[in-house]
Amino acid sequence: MIQLFHVKKAYPGDAPVLDDVTLRIEKGEFVWLTGPSGAGKSTLLKLLFCAETPTSGQILVGGRNIVRLSQGGIPFLRRNIGVVFQDFKLLDNRTVVENVGYALEVLGASDAEIRERSLKRLDQVGLKHKAASLPQRLSGGEQQRVAIARALVNEPTILLADEPTGNLDPGLTDSILQLLFDANARGTTVIVATHDRTLLTRYHKRTIALASGKVVFDA
Amino acid sequence: MIAHVAWRLSRRAAMNLWRAPLPSLVSVLTISLALFIGASFVLGLFAARALLTSWGAQASVTLYLDKETTDEQARGLLQKVVAQSPDLEVVYVDRALALKRLRTELGDLSGALDGLSQNPLPPSLEVTPKSALPPAGVRMLAAQLGQLPGVAEVDYGREWLDKLEALARGLRVFGAGALFTVLGAALLVVANTIRLAVYARRDEIEIMKLVGATDGYVRAPFLLEGALQGLIGAALALGGVVAVQKWLLPGATQAFAFAAGIRAPNLTPAHGAALLGAGAVVGLFGSWLAVARFLRT
Repeated sequence: MIQLFHVKKAYPGDAPVLDDVTLRIEKGEFVWLTGPSGAGKSTLLKLLFCAETPTSGQILVGGRNIVRLSQGGIPFLRRNIGVVFQDFKLLDNRTVVENVGYALEVLGASDAEIRERSLKRLDQVGLKHKAASLPQRLSGGEQQRVAIARALVNEPTILLADEPTGNLDPGLTDSILQLLFDANARGTTVIVATHDRTLLTRYHKRTIALASGKVVFDA
Repeated sequence: MIAHVAWRLSRRAAMNLWRAPLPSLVSVLTISLALFIGASFVLGLFAARALLTSWGAQASVTLYLDKETTDEQARGLLQKVVAQSPDLEVVYVDRALALKRLRTELGDLSGALDGLSQNPLPPSLEVTPKSALPPAGVRMLAAQLGQLPGVAEVDYGREWLDKLEALARGLRVFGAGALFTVLGAALLVVANTIRLAVYARRDEIEIMKLVGATDGYVRAPFLLEGALQGLIGAALALGGVVAVQKWLLPGATQAFAFAAGIRAPNLTPAHGAALLGAGAVVGLFGSWLAVARFLRT
């Protein structure tokens, strides 16, 4: 479960990016986080995986107040959170299977276990046959599927996706979203930030809309 | 689990070195040069200390006895000194011999001594350490011998020894300062080189942190990389020092008269290990500085 209490994020000299945001997301929910550019969607996601700290307010993830988390505790929180970005963030000099296995390496898994679990995830996203390829040789949709496989390989309880289809052709969007729905069906809490309103109308899920850093819609 | 994580991190460190050979080479050569200069300073200091000690050993302590001391008493005292300290060479100079020496030293002016009604010189014992003593040791010996009964005055070339001691002190301070400066410079160069490597791999680090790598896990390959560069640099420096000692120094000591008989200290396995250890520490600490700054930002 994720809870935000009166969360504010502001940078000196600028208007608050997030202003008094209070919300609650249940375990296993699928949530669209929407709003125009600059509404605070990405910042909210960054707060959830501790890439940013709020100026004020409290954030609970799995009952734990992550605002009070020490620097040393952040990696352990992140091992339970998978993150997918619009620009994929894959390492160009590593093969597809190595990119996916990266999340398992830091957990101290053995080479054999890393390979086995990575291939299994790649199979789920339909890219097992590209395991030995370098990311540059893949299409945008395939790269995003690799990024999703990496985010899910250590079976996180939460999956955060920041504009996961933003760089993709509309034809690829459905297949990417289907992977996120599949993860959600397996019990993962999924939060997808998007400014594409057509997705919200096509897939009816809980939608939280932000505007100028405030929650303006939640249903 | 620890074993294969350690193996994976070591493998990554080696791969990183292999993938960026030029920056690694710069680090290795810098460490190597700094350690070579540092080790040469240290060995030079050892040699200078040996030289000063040998000069100090040449200084003898002269014990001037009371004028009324008889030959028998003086020889008794000589026996006593030799019995107490067998590592001292003691020569008795009676009053007649002292006068004879003075005449010899005065040369043409010795006629001035003819007018003396009696020999004004006291008998003395000339004490010389058989083995080399540092200036402080000579001073202590003089103080001990000065306590003996019948000794009126002690002369041990105090000014000369003070100068020697000041010279040795200066060498130590200068050597330590130079050593730290050189090692500090190497540390900064290594830190900067590794920082470039860290910066080149910032995407990788960002992803590592994103998937839950601890700072220690991110840091470890860079530290290993630094330590490895330090070890290779130190091994090169060690080879250089050995080569200089073997082929260059023997000729150099023969070329300078004042250095004749002075040998450069032998390099022991402990010296080699210390040099390798210093290299590893410089590399490790340089990497630590570079990565710590990056992780902070």
